[in-house]
Order: sequence, then structure tokens, then C-alpha cells
Amino acid sequence: MTEDNPTGQTLVLVVEDDPILMLSLVGYVEDAGCDAVEATSVAEAIRLLETRSDIRTVFTDLDMRGSTAGMKLALAIRDRWPPIELLMVSSQPWDAAQIPARGVVLGKPFDGRRIVAAIQRFAA
Amino acid sequence: MTRPEPSPTDDPLRLEALRGYGILDTVPEEGFDDLVHLAARACAVPVALVSLVDHDRQWFKARVGFSPCETDLDGSVCRFVLAEPDILQIPDLTADPRTRDNPLVTGEPFIRFYAGAPLRTPKGQVLGSLCVIDRVPRPEGLTDDQADDLRRLARQVMAQLELRRAIRGRETHIRERDAAFRARDALRDTQASIAAIDGDLDTILDALLDGAMRAVPAAEGGVLELIDGDALEYRVVRGSLLGQRGLRVPLEGSSAGRVARTNAPFLMADATSDPYVKRDLVERLGLRSAVLAPLARGGTVLGVLKLQSAKPDAFTARDLEQAVLFAGVATAGLTAVDEARGREAVHATDLYWRGLFDRLSEGFLVGDVVRDAGGRVVDWRYVEVNPAWGGLVGVDPATVVGRTLREVIPDVEEEWVREFADVVETGRPAAFTRQVGTIRRWYEGRAFKLDDRRFGVIFLEVTARIEAEARRTALLALGDRLRDLATVPEMTSAAAEIVGRTLGATRAGFGRIDAEMETVEIELDWTMPGMVSLAGLHRFADYGDLRGSLLDDVALVIEDVTTDPRTRADPSPLLAIDVRALVNMPVRERGRTVAVFIAHDAQARTWTSDELAFLRNVADRLEVGVARVRAEDLQGVLNKELAHRLKNTLAVVQSIAQQTLRGVSERDKVDAFERRLLALSRAHDVLLRKSWEAARLRAVMEGVLMLQADLDRFAFDGADMDISPEAALSLSLLLHELATNALKYGALSVGAGTVRIAWRTEVGQAPALVLDWSELGGPAATAPSGRGGFGTKLIRMGLVGTREAELRFGSEGLRAKFRAPLADIQIQVH
Repeated sequence: MTEDNPTGQTLVLVVEDDPILMLSLVGYVEDAGCDAVEATSVAEAIRLLETRSDIRTVFTDLDMRGSTAGMKLALAIRDRWPPIELLMVSSQPWDAAQIPARGVVLGKPFDGRRIVAAIQRFAA
Repeated sequence: MTRPEPSPTDDPLRLEALRGYGILDTVPEEGFDDLVHLAARACAVPVALVSLVDHDRQWFKARVGFSPCETDLDGSVCRFVLAEPDILQIPDLTADPRTRDNPLVTGEPFIRFYAGAPLRTPKGQVLGSLCVIDRVPRPEGLTDDQADDLRRLARQVMAQLELRRAIRGRETHIRERDAAFRARDALRDTQASIAAIDGDLDTILDALLDGAMRAVPAAEGGVLELIDGDALEYRVVRGSLLGQRGLRVPLEGSSAGRVARTNAPFLMADATSDPYVKRDLVERLGLRSAVLAPLARGGTVLGVLKLQSAKPDAFTARDLEQAVLFAGVATAGLTAVDEARGREAVHATDLYWRGLFDRLSEGFLVGDVVRDAGGRVVDWRYVEVNPAWGGLVGVDPATVVGRTLREVIPDVEEEWVREFADVVETGRPAAFTRQVGTIRRWYEGRAFKLDDRRFGVIFLEVTARIEAEARRTALLALGDRLRDLATVPEMTSAAAEIVGRTLGATRAGFGRIDAEMETVEIELDWTMPGMVSLAGLHRFADYGDLRGSLLDDVALVIEDVTTDPRTRADPSPLLAIDVRALVNMPVRERGRTVAVFIAHDAQARTWTSDELAFLRNVADRLEVGVARVRAEDLQGVLNKELAHRLKNTLAVVQSIAQQTLRGVSERDKVDAFERRLLALSRAHDVLLRKSWEAARLRAVMEGVLMLQADLDRFAFDGADMDISPEAALSLSLLLHELATNALKYGALSVGAGTVRIAWRTEVGQAPALVLDWSELGGPAATAPSGRGGFGTKLIRMGLVGTREAELRFGSEGLRAKFRAPLADIQIQVH
């Protein structure tokens, strides 16, 4: 299944409602040698996941409008698409108990090295 | 010289009344001065006097226009007023046979007109007059108005005199009452210590004299003189008589000897005029007045207790009574010394003790231990109690003798048996302060052994004092708990427990009231064992008319729900939850009653004003504590929100920079920027933990260094401390640059290299923080060429911009030392 993935590289779904931050997140995905699929809302992200099966990693901001929307998305993904890897960024601390299994939460401002390393690990 | 007719000046009743006011030879007082000025002005005369007529003189309490403070009776016109029913007026003193030869008329100051209004006591005695005097005759006398004014002012003088006497009376009463308390305490202590001493004569006499000195504060010196042959020997001495021990005074020809011979106490008012005193002793002993009481046993005098002063008239009849009382205690003590004197003497002492204890205000009892089959003391029987015992315990004393403690007070605390059993078994007296829980009264006293079965107890009730102390302690404890606790439920629960225990209530709790004041939601309450918790929602209307006082914002206080008009119609819902008495104390938030503090008792009880004040105080403290927690909670939320926004903004700044610098080919510069931003952000993380007020030094270091390398590459050496937000940011950036360089060129660029970071504070005139950065195991360091980049500049800037940075680039690696005033590093306490 290659659908909209002409380059054949690993696809990362980036979920971010702030267009400026989206530019950075996409940049990190590309630095990691992957291709980004962008979603600007949780609803759009779910729609994309329901329609395509080539996404292995979701990279989402947890601080989106509707404060808990990002985490709800992460939990829904872990529930409905268990194999998908989850990388999250947040300006707030999260308890380990709140984070879905295998999920990784990194802070803001972004530590590019760790983000890139995490995406590469998931893509490997 | 004979006096055919007694003159009113010499009337003993009148003179006694005058003495009774204690006014003669006192200093001027404004109240009287004002009255003579008013009199002079009202009657338009230069002279006015408040004149008091003594048996041989007239003395002026207040005067205007007249210098002498007294004159003899020849110069007195006022003495003629004594016999007058009303104002005496003499229009021309030279023409009146009574006064024409008066030296003040015939000579200076040549007085001519006199009008005097009698100063009459409520019992009709005339003490003198308020008089006005002129140097010219006044044939027409005072006008009717002037006479009326003078009469009214004379009544005011009398009113002043009465007021003065009343105040003096009250002061005397207070002094006497204090003296009585002091004497009672001294007597009780002396009795108890004599009872506790096992028969050593000198120790008993010591205790006795100490007590007597305490009970009679006027005593400067005291002595116990014991008969030895035909003399009295000074056996125990105190105060001004210290040093006279061993002095011998003959029984014949001395005051003490006379007291010993007659077995009668004696009050010596003034040694200089005393017929019995031994003259040569007066000076040697510094003796001017004294009280003396015989120490007797079974009619035989053994010695004399003397308390003395260097001042005349130092002692009162009450002091003499005290001396007699203490001498009596000594008798009992001396009996214990010499039991061979036989039963008769002991019997006399028993009678003495009985009389003494019947009059005591302390409770006294004699108990007889009750043993079980194994010989263990399990109870004790009342052998004797005094009348005061009944009042202090609340049981008719006539009903208890012969019954045991457990019969009289069922469920009494075990200690009331065990401790007295110990006293009997060990012989050691015991002091106690303990409650009888079932009657909620506290007692303080001493217990002492009488024989192998019996013991005596002397005690007072101290309930009021103990409860006041408990409330004070409880408020302190509550203050501490409220300060330390962080949530409202923790606070209310802590307060409930403290209140419940302190008031001896059966239940205490905190309940939130809804806006309409119809329901109360009781939080986790404190209860005595066996009581049900009332936690949960309750409707006031289900329990009677309880809302009224809360709507008025005052405490709801019910002493007995079966009789209180608000609940008596149907007390069963309250009785069903073991509430017989209750208090609901309003707790306010922003001026509105939002909650109540609740105390319940399963028994009817009178809530004292002290207890209600205590509850009010608890409610007030709770209000303050809750307000603090709410403010802190809000502050915490704001802090988190602020941190969240700050980091999100930094992320946006980071993104903008990344996009802006997209075309820049030197990616390492872009990367360096991002790392610096991260270092700054880490310092904020650490600051947030302490609400931005301070950060822990170690946490700041670790936060920024872990971005660069594993923390086990770093050795930290120094005492952790709080540092200011500014110092935290500066330190973060500095360490970030040092670590970055170490990674690129220094110790961290090779696998085995480490960095040691050591810091210390230097005390002295300007205390400073000194921070050392030492790289080990890496390549030799070389100084950067030229001016260096931004990183080098940041490093040379040092801590908080002091520029005190000492950099040594040696073969072993970089060594850097930074120094900054401690005042700039630490939190400024305002």
C-alpha cells in the first residue's frame, strides 16, 4: 500500500493547529528522513487515519485548542490503532500514568535533537 | 482644769468619724481645690477653706487666699459651725463676742467677715466647714443665692470625702483578699510538706517558718524559739534574724518568754513602748513590732514563733491569726517527731487537724485501700472527707464515708486508684493534676501516706484553669496545623479534631451551607468512639428551627434540645443522632456565612462564654486559613498557565527563527541558537517548581546540563541553596555555553572526560558565591582566537553579569572560576 506516498519514505502524521509550529514540526520530520502528512485538527487527524493505513507514527502537539484534545487523540489512537507510534510535544508536564503505552512526550521549546532521534527510532 | 460642758470639738463620736475618712494631713487634691475656688468666686471673697476640726486644731484640706495649712483652735472660727444646723454667718468678726479676740481678727490677716457651711456626714456628724472669709465686714451678709451656692458646694465637699473613703475601702479589701489567698496557699503547702516529711524536726521547723514568712509578708525576720531550760533558744531563723541562730533569751523578762509562759499569742505594736520586751534585744535584733505565737502540745508550751519588723505597727490582727495557725501546724509536725508522747497527745492533734480541715477551703479526704484476694489494691474506701470536699466534687459528703471510690464515682479513671495505692505502698507522696472524666472536673493536689492502709489527699478544683490552658494550647496547635496544611478538607478535619478533643464534645465538624441556607453539607467530622459520623448532606428543616440564627449570622447555641424552643417540639431527629446540646458557629467567606463549625454533645451541657469564644476563634482562624489556601490555589493555577504560555511562546519564537534562518548555510549557528533557547527554558522549569520565587541551585544545573550530556559525566560538589530567578537564568546560560564548549573541544569531547563543578560561599565583608568549572581527562585547552563568539562573551560575562570570570586554558583542560556577590545570587528577603 503506497497511496499518497510517492517517495516511499516512512510517513508521519503531524497534528498541530498552530501554523507556525506546524512548519517546525514538519521540519523535524523531514530532518529525520521521513515524509509528513499534516492535520490541523484532531478531527482531521482521525479522518486521515480512518482513510489510510500507511501511517506508522503520529506526531502531535498536546497543547491545542480545547486543552485536552491532543491527549484525547493520543488515547484514541492507542485504542483504535494500537501499532501506531506516538510522539507528543507539550508545554506542560504529564504524569507517566496519563501517557499512552509506548508514547513519548517531549517539552517545549523543542529539543530538535531528541525529536529527530525519536522519529528515527519509531521509523526504524 | 475642768470643763463643765463638753465642747462639740471634743465629741469622741465626731472625732472617730473624722478619723474614719482618713483625710487629715493628706496632700492637696484637685477635687477639693476646685470647690474652694468655686466657693470664693460665688461669694466674692478672697479666702475660702475646707476646714476640718480636730480635737486640738483645724486642718485645711483645700484653701485659697490663705497660707497656713492648719491653725490651733484659738484661731478657729469654724469650730463654732459644729453646733450650727445650717450656715453660720458673722458679718463683722470684731463685733461678735465669740471672735473679737481671735488672733486672726486682732492681728494678721485681720479677717472681718465669715460664712461657713457645715460638712455633715450621712450620720449627722459635722467634720468642719466649707467657709468663705473677707477682710472687710459685710453687714448685709451673703445674698440668698450665695448662701445656697455655699450650701451646695459644702455638700459636694462631703461627696468627695465619701468617694475617697469608698475607694480606700475597696483597695483595703483587695489587699486583704490577696493576703488571705497568699496565706492560704502557704498554709496548704506547709501542711503538705510537713505531712510528707518523715519526722525530722529541723526540716519540719524549716518548712513551717518558710510558710509563715510567706503568709505574713510584713515579716522581715522570723524565728522559731524552743524552750531549753529557763531560756528560749533561737532554733530556726529567717530574713533579718539570719545570724541570730543559737541566741538565748531568758523566759523571764522577755516578750517571747511571756508568750511561752502564758501560752497566749501576742501582737507587739511598738517595741519602744512595750512593757514586756527585753530592752537590750530591741536594738540588736532590729525589732520594732512583732507577732508571737506559742508552739504548744497538749497544753505544754515547747517554744514560740516570732515574726518581726523594724517598722512600728507593721502587723495586723490577721497576721497574728496567721502566726497562730502556723504554730498549730508545727504542733502537728512536732507530734510526728515524738510519737512516744502517747495516744493522748495524738488524739489532741487529731482533734486539731479535724478542726483545721473542717475550716479549709481545700478538699481533704482520708482513704483506706481495698485489696483483692491477691493483695492487690483495687479500690479505696472513704474514711473521712471535709465539708469542702462536697462542694469540689459535687457529692454530699455525709453520704460517702464507708463507701468506696468506685461506688461513689462509677467509671472513674484507673489512675485515681493506682496512684494512691502507690503512695500507700511506697510511702512517697504524690502530686497530681487530673480529671474525673465522668463529671468533667479537674483536680490538683497532693496525696501522702498515713499508715499501711490509709492515705490523705488535699486538693483543689482547677477545672477552669486547665480548660483555659487546653483552649490556649489548642489554638496554638490549630494555628500550626492550618499553616502547614494545603487543602481545605485537611484544615477542617484538623480543626474538628482539635475542637472536639479540647471541648470534650462528642462530635465536631465543619459543614458548608448552601446559598439559601437550607442545607448543610458536613465534611469528614471528628467523633468520640461510638458516635456515628454525620458526614453528608442534611436539611436544617428536618431538625427544628435551626436556620434563624444563621440567617442573622450569629452562633446557634442550644444547651438542651429537649427544652430549647427551637427544637423541643420534636427533638427526636437530633436525639437519634446523639445530639442533646449543640453549637453551630458561622464561618464566613468574603463577609458571607458559607459554613458552620459544629460541636455536639450527647449530654445536655452549658456552653460557657469561654468555650463559645474559643469556637468563634477557631472559626475565624479557619476563615483566614481557607482564604489563604484559595489564594494559593489561584496563584498556583496562574503560575502554571503563565509557564505554559511562556513555553509555547518560546516554541513559536523558535519556529519563526527556524523558518527565518532556513536559507542560512551555517546550520551549527541555528542549532546553537536553539540550544540556548532550550537552556533558558530549563531554568524556567526549575523556577516554576517554587512559584517563580526561587530555584534550587542544583536543580538549575542539572536541568541545563542534561540537555548536553549524561549527568554522570559531571561531579557536583557544594551545598544546595535557593537562588534568585535572575541568578537561575544567568547560571543556566553560562553552564550551557561551558558545556557546549566542553562537548566540542574539551573534556566531554572524549569518552573518559568529566567535568567537576564545585561551588562554595565565601564569608567576609562582601559574601560571595564562588563557582569552579574544572575539566578533567580531556585534551589540552586553548584560548579562543580573537574576540570569540557569543558563547565566549557569555562565559566572560560571568555570573549575573559581574565579569568576574577567571579562565585558565591549561594542558589538563579548561579551569574556570566565577565569583558573584551572594546578595545578587540569593533571594532578597523584603
